[in-house]
Amino acid sequence: MGNRKIPAEIEQVLLDETAIQARVRQLGARISADYAEIDDLVLVGVLKGAFIFLSDLARSLTIPHEVDFIALSSYNKGVVSTGAVRLIMDTRSSVTGRNVLIVEDILDTGYTLDYLIRIFQARNPASLRTCVFVSKPDRHQVEVPIDYLGFEVPDEWLVGYGLDYADRFRTLPYIGVLKQEVYE
Amino acid sequence: MGLRDDVARVLIPEDELQARVAELGQEINALYTDGDRPLLVCVLKGAFIFLADLTRHLEMRHEVDFMEISSYGAGTESTGVVRILLDLEQSIEGRHVLIVEDIVDSGRTLAYMARNLRTRGPASLRICALLSKPSRREVDVELDWVGFEVPNEFVIGYGLDYAEEYRNLPFIGVLKENVYAMSG
Repeated sequence: MGNRKIPAEIEQVLLDETAIQARVRQLGARISADYAEIDDLVLVGVLKGAFIFLSDLARSLTIPHEVDFIALSSYNKGVVSTGAVRLIMDTRSSVTGRNVLIVEDILDTGYTLDYLIRIFQARNPASLRTCVFVSKPDRHQVEVPIDYLGFEVPDEWLVGYGLDYADRFRTLPYIGVLKQEVYE
Repeated sequence: MGLRDDVARVLIPEDELQARVAELGQEINALYTDGDRPLLVCVLKGAFIFLADLTRHLEMRHEVDFMEISSYGAGTESTGVVRILLDLEQSIEGRHVLIVEDIVDSGRTLAYMARNLRTRGPASLRICALLSKPSRREVDVELDWVGFEVPNEFVIGYGLDYAEEYRNLPFIGVLKENVYAMSG
């Protein structure tokens, strides 16, 4: 994947493929160790952004687990303060009594993940943790516990490895900074 | 670790799999241009790992979207008609659509999905399947790209599961008979 041309809209590569893959393997090793004695782990990927991270993370795990997905859409700008999102597709299987690990590509304001934690907590899982690939501390509006974090990143428009700009650049194998002129 | 112990043999090792996915990516690169802006459609859950690796090789502008389906029950299986639980986020009218599939078995569901999407008036509709089991085919469905033809065995890994397990194996393996015979 390394020889793909970098699009002109990318200012610079923030995290290259090698750094990303090394970090995913570290996270995978930690999660495999932490859950070694625990049965019934379910990784819940948040569509669309988390699918690439989830595909690499799952492959780095040495422990049995299930993979599930949820899809969300936001209601409108008016409800941003509660982070309420519309669950347009719920997990296929029940999480009650099981060990849930929510897998997200990015933590920005934190509203969405905070909301997800609350709705999953209400389903009485045996445990609930979060795994976030990149977090933008400068953007956080609400405190959300991150149990496994890939990288802290600056407050810039990032694309690639699941992150998009209007659905573009999502599948770049690295994380790049989008040129300001593209989104302004 | 239980995961690998249940593999009778490796059918397609990881390096062969990755090389073939890269080749498929190059062939797809040769076909579409930035202006075509193809939409890659993934039917969950099985194809998400293949999609994540394949799209990281793509060089033209493209987007990804997901569908989730479930069977209506035993009586309807011969028609391939399924219930759509999560539909595409966007309209595909006039778009170049590429269905990304993990495995084509009887072909019934895929044939139905292709019929369903064709009714929406895409500019083109193609199918890229990682694996195909020709000996199991019951309906004709034209595959534009096939990664590997595989024999009629219980294959797992790289997205393919047995009872939700083994999806994360980075290779394609054959499941030991005693694993599925036990719980059958």
